[in-house]
Amino acid sequence: MNEPSLTESRPTAVALAARGVTKRFPGVLANDNVEFEVRAGEVHALLGENGSGKTTLCKVFTGLYRADAGHVEIAGRPVDLHSPADVHARGVFMVHQHFSLVERMTVAENVMLGWRRGSRFWFDRRAAEREVAELATLHGLPVDPATLIGELSMGERQRVEILKALCRGAKVLILDEPTTVLTPQEAEGLFESLRRLAEAGSAVVFISHKLHEVLSVCDRVSVLRRGVMTGTVDLREQRAVDTRELARMMVGREIELGRREREELVDPHADPVLELSELTVTGDHGNAVLDSVTLDVHAGEVLGVAGVAGNGQRELADAIAGLRPLAAGTVTVAGKPLRAGSPLAAIAGGVAFVPEDRFGVGLAPGMTVAENMVLKSFRSGRFSAGPFVRRRRVVVHTEEQLDGYELRGGPASVVGKLSGGNAQKVLLAREMSGEPKVLVIAAPTRGLDVAATETVRELIARAAEAGTAVVMISEDLDEVLDVSDRVAVMCGGRVTGVLPAAGADVEEIGLLMMGHTADPAGPAGTPAPADPAVASARAERTA
Amino acid sequence: MNHGLFVALLATGILYGTPLVIAGLGELLAERSGVLNLGVEGMMLMGAVTAFWVARGVAGPSILVLPLAIVLAGVVAAATATIHAFLTITLRTNQIVSGLALTIFAGASGLSSYIATVAGLGGSPATHTLRAINVFGLKNVPVLGPLLFDENALVYVSWLMVVGVSLYINRTRPGLHLRAVGEDPHAADSMGISVTRVRYAHTIAGGAFAGIGGAFYTLAISPEWSDGITNGAGWIAIALVIFAFWRPTGVLAGAYLFGVVTSLGSNLEARGVQLPSELFTALPYLLTMIVLVVVSSGLGKRRLGAPAGLGIPYARDGG
Amino acid sequence: MTATLQPPVRRRAAQAVPVRLERRLDQPGRIHSALLPVGSLLLAMVLVGVLLGIAGHDPFAALSQVVSAAVTGQGSISATLTSATPLLFTGLAAAVAFRMRIWNIGGEGQLYIGAICAAGVGIATGASGLAVALPLMLIAAALGGALWAAIPALLRAFLNTNEILTSLMLNYVAGLLLGYLILDSTSYWRDMSGPTALVYPQGKSLASAAFWPGFTGGGLIIPLGLVFGVALAVLVFVMIRHTWFGYQLRVTADNAQAGRYAGMASRRNLVAVMMLSGALAALGGASQVGDFSHLLDPSGLQQPQYGYTGIVVAALARYNPLAVVLSALFLGAITNAGLNLQSATFPQSLTGVIEGIILFCVLGGEVLSRYRFVWGRR
Repeated sequence: MNEPSLTESRPTAVALAARGVTKRFPGVLANDNVEFEVRAGEVHALLGENGSGKTTLCKVFTGLYRADAGHVEIAGRPVDLHSPADVHARGVFMVHQHFSLVERMTVAENVMLGWRRGSRFWFDRRAAEREVAELATLHGLPVDPATLIGELSMGERQRVEILKALCRGAKVLILDEPTTVLTPQEAEGLFESLRRLAEAGSAVVFISHKLHEVLSVCDRVSVLRRGVMTGTVDLREQRAVDTRELARMMVGREIELGRREREELVDPHADPVLELSELTVTGDHGNAVLDSVTLDVHAGEVLGVAGVAGNGQRELADAIAGLRPLAAGTVTVAGKPLRAGSPLAAIAGGVAFVPEDRFGVGLAPGMTVAENMVLKSFRSGRFSAGPFVRRRRVVVHTEEQLDGYELRGGPASVVGKLSGGNAQKVLLAREMSGEPKVLVIAAPTRGLDVAATETVRELIARAAEAGTAVVMISEDLDEVLDVSDRVAVMCGGRVTGVLPAAGADVEEIGLLMMGHTADPAGPAGTPAPADPAVASARAERTA
Repeated sequence: MNHGLFVALLATGILYGTPLVIAGLGELLAERSGVLNLGVEGMMLMGAVTAFWVARGVAGPSILVLPLAIVLAGVVAAATATIHAFLTITLRTNQIVSGLALTIFAGASGLSSYIATVAGLGGSPATHTLRAINVFGLKNVPVLGPLLFDENALVYVSWLMVVGVSLYINRTRPGLHLRAVGEDPHAADSMGISVTRVRYAHTIAGGAFAGIGGAFYTLAISPEWSDGITNGAGWIAIALVIFAFWRPTGVLAGAYLFGVVTSLGSNLEARGVQLPSELFTALPYLLTMIVLVVVSSGLGKRRLGAPAGLGIPYARDGG
Repeated sequence: MTATLQPPVRRRAAQAVPVRLERRLDQPGRIHSALLPVGSLLLAMVLVGVLLGIAGHDPFAALSQVVSAAVTGQGSISATLTSATPLLFTGLAAAVAFRMRIWNIGGEGQLYIGAICAAGVGIATGASGLAVALPLMLIAAALGGALWAAIPALLRAFLNTNEILTSLMLNYVAGLLLGYLILDSTSYWRDMSGPTALVYPQGKSLASAAFWPGFTGGGLIIPLGLVFGVALAVLVFVMIRHTWFGYQLRVTADNAQAGRYAGMASRRNLVAVMMLSGALAALGGASQVGDFSHLLDPSGLQQPQYGYTGIVVAALARYNPLAVVLSALFLGAITNAGLNLQSATFPQSLTGVIEGIILFCVLGGEVLSRYRFVWGRR
């Protein structure tokens, strides 16, 4: 290590390492004496379930957390990291799941942000755009530097993030769950870029919990479980690696997730419980963010909705739950059309809704579990004495509903202090308490650990068995395929295809996600800009 | 409307609009960094009382005393803004309540008035006031002369400020960082920009601007001190920023519109129009409401131009 | 000029600051919650003392003057109660709105409107006696204040107009209306009876039969308005804590999205809260007329800035209606000192300074209940 020129030229030089890193939080040992090293020229997977300590380790690497014990080495030298800027100066960059991009600024502005280059005071937008265009070509990451970030697809945004890092001389690139926002085809493109980077001598850390991705792109895999590094496998030496073995390293037992065949519950001859006809929702700019969507769901059926985030899934869920006014079309539940744009009508009509943003939409986080449990049923009169609250009854009701959910905490716990899994249980318990005809559930297991994921999937299955028509929206294609009976794929606000989940072809779904309609005569959808404010910001820029 | 009234209205419009321009630009800077400061009224009054204190008490040639008065007004108001910066940026308190606290603390029946009482500023006029400068002797050019070439130095400075702030925001690196911090502090932080430092700098700068705007009242508009001399101008300045869609040129245009409306009463009265003076005095406040309604219900529905991070305290861990 | 805007460049120093705020995981206990305002107040007093020292006055002399004017002096407690009465109403008004995250800064103007309505009705019906005049005055004031507050409320609910600025602008408009009615017109409210009344404009007095009776005993005078205010505080507290209407308001305050998701009529609730807030502040105006001035007195209503002080009262009470009673008494004492001492040591303008400092300290203290300081980096 005393001869840096020598070590750096060797392909196996250690680019980034954790040496005995330990990080404690109140009540949690997030990293326990973790040893981890990434070499220049390799794509190294950091595999682990949610809550296994991957994120904590990365925050230690990027200077956001400081290790309680142990240290970080960059290019073979122990370093003391103070801030992201510190880490960047040493050539280590992280691409987070939520991109660090300012949506209402251009690609060039984002690349230049915080980059000390050229004049310290003046900023010349044109020159910056020229320069970024050159750099983009140089690194083989094509993007238009004058476009606002908000107008780019997720894949393009990711390219900008990687470009930002490369421009600043990244030697180590850490990518946190990079494929969650991509179509399978976009993911392939990303894998190619990563391989190219590695061949050019960069070190890439690929964080994931998806085994097949890891196997297709990585050279080595390190597995974290509950804060402990359970081992590192070299895939180049051991091509025929046992996925079950990796899985066991990851969760400590055989994974039971995977497609579970349920007995056939759906009676295809009965009338569907939920019928959506020609649902159209317009965005702020008069564009259709949901474009004549027609679907139906039978009692006992789980319809999975797949697609890249921001292609109308959220609008679809909101439209069914009455949270968005409709420009056209109807939502019909059990033969009765619902009044559009009225959450109350949807609730009365038997629509239960578990939104993707649990704390932001579905729950009042500052209030207790009991108070949240009656959020939709408080009007029933069961809990009232005149205008007054019958608190005792609310608590009893809450206890009844939560029976069997194994919730940590009781009716008096404040919801905002619950874990994601427990919050999701409260939400599901409340939504199912009204014995709904339709359940719309979005991102059902996002951010949940394995146990909670299993529970939630079990609860969805139980809801379907009870005769509820379930619409499950998820960006996790594996989850959609595992849990649903049929899959509807969305792109650009349209349903580009509906197919049975059993035996579905991932390649075909990927094409549908990119807007290639199943019907060859139909037009290909284009992804709508994710942020409505983008167009106005563009107007501001040109003004 | 005859020619003379038109020019007189515009001229007084510029006079009454100038403090709004300066204070509005200051609030714009703070808000572009993501900090809503409702304490503009209080900071303006701090500036006004400081400038008056200097202009009345310090002996010497006006050419030295007046700049001193203006600079001190800026410094004192900036110090006042620092309280808000500390509470909202470091302690992450609610920006609305903190701004209100600032106005109560410094405002019409707060510190500005206390200073005036303690220093005995009531009753006598200032010895130094800003006088119009006849630039290039062009004052007598019809219409444009009295409007563009017969203003006091601070009016010219305010025009430079508009240009300067505009260039600063769009053409400089600190301006780029300012926009990033206001739009998405998390993204800015991850790129090594100190959100805290940017927000402090612009909140404090905004305070300095407000103080200079307040100084205009005691140095150019009214030669005598009275408590609450700004009469709600600070609040109108905040409304102006919304009206201007957070753009400096919009602040200039809006400020002059308000200046014209503010001076409408005196101009019409001078021409013999008989209406209750309270009605005219109320016009700027009513206009503010109308403007806000128009902006919010029509164009501004999409929060056109509003920094996405405005009013939200920033913490790295999301707490 | 642009150069002055550049952030001071000393990168390392700022990064090395070892103190940071960390979110508390535990719920602050009851005692903790109660001690916070007290601690904040003590800190505020120290800061005010320092300020007085800078101004060249003896802080302890000032303190003893305040204590004497507010508590120990002859008739001082009654005077404090007098000042606390309007603050109780405006404090409740601010507490109700702010607790629901609706920023009604219009308490000041709503109080004026309440006074105008109550005075108008009182002048008209005063001769019929208290039994007729009192309820009519209360109803008129509450209605007037609610309607005045409905302007910013409706603009906010249906046109999404910032209610902070609109409600505030209406304060100026209400103040000008007040001045117009008494000083600049021959309105119904103005006393036009004698020659002095024409030279020194003032309001027309209510018939003495319509004066609100106070409760006297033990050298104390308790205004009827104060009793009403305390009763209202209890009612508002019960409404927020124990009714489904209050439940909906709490949900919407906690997470407006969740309220909408559950089908709550958020616009209607917003307008209702704002109108309630306006009515409460306006009742303070009615009490000013009925309890104290017995006529419409523009400067008497405007000078003490009861509406703005109400915000401080509410914040000190942490927006709890019951605690508003205590904090109104406390700030009433300070307002009373400002109004009555008018001394060099304690001019009236000092009250605004003290109120501001209290508010800063309460805000800062609030943070300590949610976060704690941690030395060293994570």
